[in-house]
Amino acid sequence: MDFEPSPDQSAILEAVETLLAQRAGPERAIELAAKGEYDFELEEALSEAGFVDVALGEETGFLEAALVVEAVARAGGVVAAGARLLVAPGAAERPLPGPVALATDRIDRPVRYGAHARTLLVADGDEAGVVRLEPGEFEPVPSGYGYPFGRGARSLLDRADSLGPGSGPRMRGWWRVALAAEAVGTMAAALRVTVDYLKQRRQFGRAIGSFQAVQHRLAECAVSVEGARWLMLEAAWQGARPEAAAVAAAHATTAAARVFRETHQLSGAIGYTREHDLHVWSMRLQALRLELGGAAAQRRAVAESRWAGGA
Amino acid sequence: MRIGLDPEEQSFRADVRAFLEGYRNLNGFFHQDERWPEVKGFYRALGERGWLSLTWPERWGGLGLGPVHEFILWDEAAYARAARPPLSAGIVAKTILRHGTDAQKQRWLPGIRSGELHFSLGYSEPQAGSDLAAVRTRAERSDDDYRVTGEKCWTSYAQDSDYLWLLCRTGAPDSRSAGLSLMILDLRADGVTVSPLPTLDDAQLNEIHLDGTRVPAEQRIGAENEAWKIVAEALADERHVQFPPRRLRRDLEDVIEWTRAAGLDRDATVRRGLADLAVEVLEVETHAMRVLAAVQQGRAGAVEAAANKVAGTVLCQKIARAAVEWGGPAAIVRGEPLEFLWRQSLWETIGGGTSEIMRGVVARQGLGLGGRR
Repeated sequence: MDFEPSPDQSAILEAVETLLAQRAGPERAIELAAKGEYDFELEEALSEAGFVDVALGEETGFLEAALVVEAVARAGGVVAAGARLLVAPGAAERPLPGPVALATDRIDRPVRYGAHARTLLVADGDEAGVVRLEPGEFEPVPSGYGYPFGRGARSLLDRADSLGPGSGPRMRGWWRVALAAEAVGTMAAALRVTVDYLKQRRQFGRAIGSFQAVQHRLAECAVSVEGARWLMLEAAWQGARPEAAAVAAAHATTAAARVFRETHQLSGAIGYTREHDLHVWSMRLQALRLELGGAAAQRRAVAESRWAGGA
Repeated sequence: MRIGLDPEEQSFRADVRAFLEGYRNLNGFFHQDERWPEVKGFYRALGERGWLSLTWPERWGGLGLGPVHEFILWDEAAYARAARPPLSAGIVAKTILRHGTDAQKQRWLPGIRSGELHFSLGYSEPQAGSDLAAVRTRAERSDDDYRVTGEKCWTSYAQDSDYLWLLCRTGAPDSRSAGLSLMILDLRADGVTVSPLPTLDDAQLNEIHLDGTRVPAEQRIGAENEAWKIVAEALADERHVQFPPRRLRRDLEDVIEWTRAAGLDRDATVRRGLADLAVEVLEVETHAMRVLAAVQQGRAGAVEAAANKVAGTVLCQKIARAAVEWGGPAAIVRGEPLEFLWRQSLWETIGGGTSEIMRGVVARQGLGLGGRR
């Protein structure tokens, strides 16, 4: 057993974080969100630097890809990193042109990144399919939850190229891992910005963060996020084994509810404003909780993978 | 980063499981008081294999292995409900190895390694629970001896142990953490009174009254007044075996079995509840792995251990409570398979550092939030 990142893993993380420090971050996320836009430049930069090929690399794999997805989410990147870096290689077993959006057959409902995607990956029962999208085929959907959404006519699915029997469950597994990876990075950032604020905000002559009632709630959040992180990495390491992937997604979406609630409550009025960066990440947590059937569906997936049939 | 056991570790796990087959009905994890002769026999059998000294240096009869092996042994023993790691082979032996003289090592280590000598932890006092620096029990030096007077409480297994691993005050009364020493006190010596405090799990904690009890000076471990750092280090030695996550896995399996037997396993509420608990069990396993990683890398791991303790013990209570709530009053009849768990699990969020202390460690040391306690 070895929990430390290897030198190669550290180098990958350092490289992606350097890139993200230059090109992503809350300011950029706020600017793009105001216009409902996608960060094509960031996606291009990630692609040129080779990060989209990490999962199927010769020396790297899905664990490294999951670490990169987590880092992109931590930086508030407005790119579909989980879909492109984890789900596409996991489901199609080859790279797909980005941006990639993920959907079930209900593409008439809001799909995250749908209006900007060139590739739509669809999980429909036992088979997953690939649809090449032309600009304008999906209609943008306005949302205040930190991601651009879009929806399209279900007839688009007639063009889907099947990835073969068994590709549906495989795609759902990787989708759950990607969802967990994005949630983990997003939660970590929301918690960080809250902790930093509570260290400097003073009331009654002391930092708010020094009050025990506040500390214990933040401690619970930190424990949940760390648990979610390792469940996610374990699921990536295990190749999105159904139970591990479902557990990672179920735990991450449960933790996301707690982190959303607590970071806002403890930040007080400033957290309700767009002045403060918390919303860049916190609102996204709410959106992630609804994906792929929502938090309840992730828990159901745990039960099904674990006790197919009876309890 | 490599998640999971390597082949050698897997093979050790298989050996441990095979060994534990012979102790399926030992039940010492929960009932050590009642089962002491059998539990002691189990420790002796471990001693014969060298499994009480897995990580000790070979020079002192150890196998020179790493903390992963210790974790595997005690995690499996918890799953089998066989026994908990004995204090003697853990905190006591590791502290003696680090701070003891060669004479002390020769005197104490062989009996510990063979499973013969057993210790109770003499830290807590009526006025010093979570706040350990408030210890008052006093040791006065006279020539080659100390005379020890004071009260220890909440002491597990003292009725069966041979010695007390005693934290006591040798400095001025207000010296807090700067005036404490560690000693080995013979529980059968004159002036020792052990009184039981019956507990809700049908076992007992103990109060220990010490009235001028003699402790030879050669039984002090480490320098006088310098125990604080030693005690903190010793906590770090045992973090990876203190709250083995497979205990929770077993608890949940027992609950699932019970829901089947009670015909509740098709109930949607029950199924959803079980799935939620299963997710949390796996979460806690990841926390335990992080503690193990910290110990393996020689880091203190206080934050990881605090996270593991608070998450694991709160979950332990949730699992036990779920079963009882689904079962209704019939589930709390004495002798029902899970009612004991509900009573026992009450202790888990208190013993070994309360949840409140653990959350404080995560907040102050992990998140860097200021403040006192």
